[in-house]
Amino acid sequence: MQTSGNMKWLWLAVGAVVMLALPQLVTSSFAIDIFIRILLFSFIGVAWNLMGGYAKQLSLGHAAYFGLGAYTSTIMQVNYGISPWIGMIAGGVVAMLASLPIGWLCFRLRGPYFTIATIATAQVLMLIFLKFRDFAWGAEGTTIPNLGSAPLMMQFEEKSSYYYVVLGLLVVGLWITHRIEKSWMGYYLVAIGEDEDAAEAVGVNAPKIKRDIYMISAFLTALAGTFYTQYIYFIDPATAFSFNVSIEAALVSIVGGIGTLWGPVIGTVLLETTSALLQSWLGSSVGGIQLTVYSLILMAVILWRPTGLIGFATDVYHRTLRRKPARA
Amino acid sequence: MAEALVIKGLSKRFGGLRAVQDVSFTVQENETVALIGPNGAGKTTSFHLITGFHRPDSGSVLAFGHEVVGLKPHDVCALGMARTFQVAKPFGAMTVLANVMTGAFLRDRHIAAAQKKAREAIEFVGLGAKEQTPAKDLTTIDQRRLEMARALATQPRILLLDEVMAGLNPAEIDQAVALVKKLSASGLTIVIVEHVMRAIMAVARHIVVLDHGQKIAEGAPKEIVENPEVIRAYLGSYVHPPAPGDAHA
Amino acid sequence: MWETLAQAVINGLLIGGIYALVSIGVTLIFGVVKIVNFAQGEFVMLGMYISFFLATQFGIDPLVSLVVSMPVLFLAGVLLQHFLIRRVLGPNDMPQIFLTFALSLLLLNLSLMLFSANYRTVHTSYSDAAWHIGGLYIPVAKLIAFAVAMALSGLLWVFLHTTDLGRAMRAASQNRDVAMLMGINPNRVFAVAFGTALALAGAAGSLLMPFYSAYPFVGQVFVLMAFVAVVMGTLGNVMGALVASLMMGIAESLGIQFVGADSGLIVVFALLLLTLAFRPSGLGARRGR
Repeated sequence: MQTSGNMKWLWLAVGAVVMLALPQLVTSSFAIDIFIRILLFSFIGVAWNLMGGYAKQLSLGHAAYFGLGAYTSTIMQVNYGISPWIGMIAGGVVAMLASLPIGWLCFRLRGPYFTIATIATAQVLMLIFLKFRDFAWGAEGTTIPNLGSAPLMMQFEEKSSYYYVVLGLLVVGLWITHRIEKSWMGYYLVAIGEDEDAAEAVGVNAPKIKRDIYMISAFLTALAGTFYTQYIYFIDPATAFSFNVSIEAALVSIVGGIGTLWGPVIGTVLLETTSALLQSWLGSSVGGIQLTVYSLILMAVILWRPTGLIGFATDVYHRTLRRKPARA
Repeated sequence: MAEALVIKGLSKRFGGLRAVQDVSFTVQENETVALIGPNGAGKTTSFHLITGFHRPDSGSVLAFGHEVVGLKPHDVCALGMARTFQVAKPFGAMTVLANVMTGAFLRDRHIAAAQKKAREAIEFVGLGAKEQTPAKDLTTIDQRRLEMARALATQPRILLLDEVMAGLNPAEIDQAVALVKKLSASGLTIVIVEHVMRAIMAVARHIVVLDHGQKIAEGAPKEIVENPEVIRAYLGSYVHPPAPGDAHA
Repeated sequence: MWETLAQAVINGLLIGGIYALVSIGVTLIFGVVKIVNFAQGEFVMLGMYISFFLATQFGIDPLVSLVVSMPVLFLAGVLLQHFLIRRVLGPNDMPQIFLTFALSLLLLNLSLMLFSANYRTVHTSYSDAAWHIGGLYIPVAKLIAFAVAMALSGLLWVFLHTTDLGRAMRAASQNRDVAMLMGINPNRVFAVAFGTALALAGAAGSLLMPFYSAYPFVGQVFVLMAFVAVVMGTLGNVMGALVASLMMGIAESLGIQFVGADSGLIVVFALLLLTLAFRPSGLGARRGR
């Protein structure tokens, strides 16, 4: 906020150049894979943060939309040969529509019971895709036919191409968040998150605003689902509706800074880097280590810095600023 | 004078408790009416019923001729009736300005316009110096001021104030009384729930007295303080015969 | 047909007793401390592992190890409340939800690291025993578990209604301010509520061990059941949680019997969603409203 307009643009330009050049400079496929994970989960976090962060509707069921996006585009591609680029948008629309009845049910509850209801809806969807085999391959799932280099079908030979796709998604997500944050909608969302009754009293149609932001959040989350399936060439209910997706969407936002533009990105960088380091030290043989560390980080943030890393950085920044005159 | 708010036969039960029973009163345009009564008389519940937070079991609430029973609180607000809460409900994480802008967006969704309207409301209630303060850091009286500014920013014609003077010291009460008078002078119709008799006598032209959910009296302040039933039900509950030990106090 | 139905109801009722112990714990914490403990299922898991290790290392019968698992988890609950939960109590939902959620993740994944994902079972002399009454089959281990669960629930009810501390807990769950006025030390009441809830979860774990496998994810099954039961049975109400849990057990068992082996959870979730749809307002409403 303190930086002047010009400085902000300069930082953005530098950031853009670095992000665009990164896959050209670092060519190790392991590293690019980590970058892609960071961008993907940042994007999912950004989608979650719109509703969970700004409006404090703490969902732990965003895997529902990740899975619906993944399945919509995959069914369209495998059964009808339709490009996942189209399927991706279709998946987003399906997720948006699904968020209406799901939201209708879950928004009847507040606080922790809203959270529980969202978990249940994602689990129900997973169970449906597991049980009804004729519908979408059941528990075995399916592989995506590998077409080699087919950009029109969202398939690339170079990992860096996937990097640019997901980078594009993240930019879109951040841009939407920025636009909402700076508009009346952003004020309304925060107001609902702070006190729904008080918001209603000043004319905020809280149920409608919550419904709308849930639709946007679901749409974006579904795009991530399509991308992920295309990236790993495989889909099954356990991956598409994985509870871990729901968890990580919320975690990266909370750790980075809930209800802030860059919070989910910063949270993901921290969590995914930690996870990658742990894996390279211990190998992937130790099950549970990643989430053990995540949960410890989450507890530390909640107990000592509920505003997340962004809040921490702002505090430090202001403290050093305040000291400066004393030194002079 | 036109009728701003016409309340007829308002009733609400919670389980076995008759919180509000067949309450009727009328508020003229640009009049300040006080709703008084002992604790649990149904004042705050009446506010909830009038502003759409609770749905009455029966009765009607006409605001400038529009029936508001059945409307959601945000619709009631859009019709031009704004309220404050007994326990102030600021959006704690937001600055004062952002709080009030949230109210202003009801009439104009452009940032610049909302900011302008919000600043006017903030100036009006005397919070101008604290525009950038996070609402959670405000004192009690400033939180009340903020609630009023936020309500004002929605550009209401009727303002319902729920115990805006509770918890204030005498000097602050004087400031609050002045503010309510200023609001009235700006043309607003005001319904105020209050316990501080001094403040009520200063601002209200008409008083409605509730007890156990029922209206037991209404009239001009002078009549009300002399009404024996009111003294018994309401004032009486505050006036205790002096105990022998109190003499030196 | 009638026999199958009766058998399914009996199976459901017996396991419902275990669900009740977990649900009552959840509802007790929600009522008194006003938070939802997402980690409640993991304490069932811990109870199971305690009984498992006592059985395999020292040959102690799981039912006997109840006297270890319950006090250990009671103490864990008191410490947890004192050092962690107390710090996030307040009007803000986020820290409360995600602190207990982080705790759930932590315990689950620590167990995964320490005990691996393997299924652990304890075989007792009565693990396979069963009574045949008419055409009905009543497994002894489950019957014991059910009986002990009901006895513990009854004890809790007596505690809540006859002792000063129990009355204080009920008062705190009905109205925080009134409880304060009565001169009740909320921290002590909260600690006892948390401890009691965890002790019940520990008891559920020990009671399960003779006929159920311990594995790191086992708690999730029980906590989901408990959440549904608690939502159905009016939040914060011990009797409601008990009755709803027994009904959940029966519903799940009927689902398995008549829809298919993997349908138990679908039936449970369907019940949850129906409850949400038809019992709208008030459920889980923010405190102080």
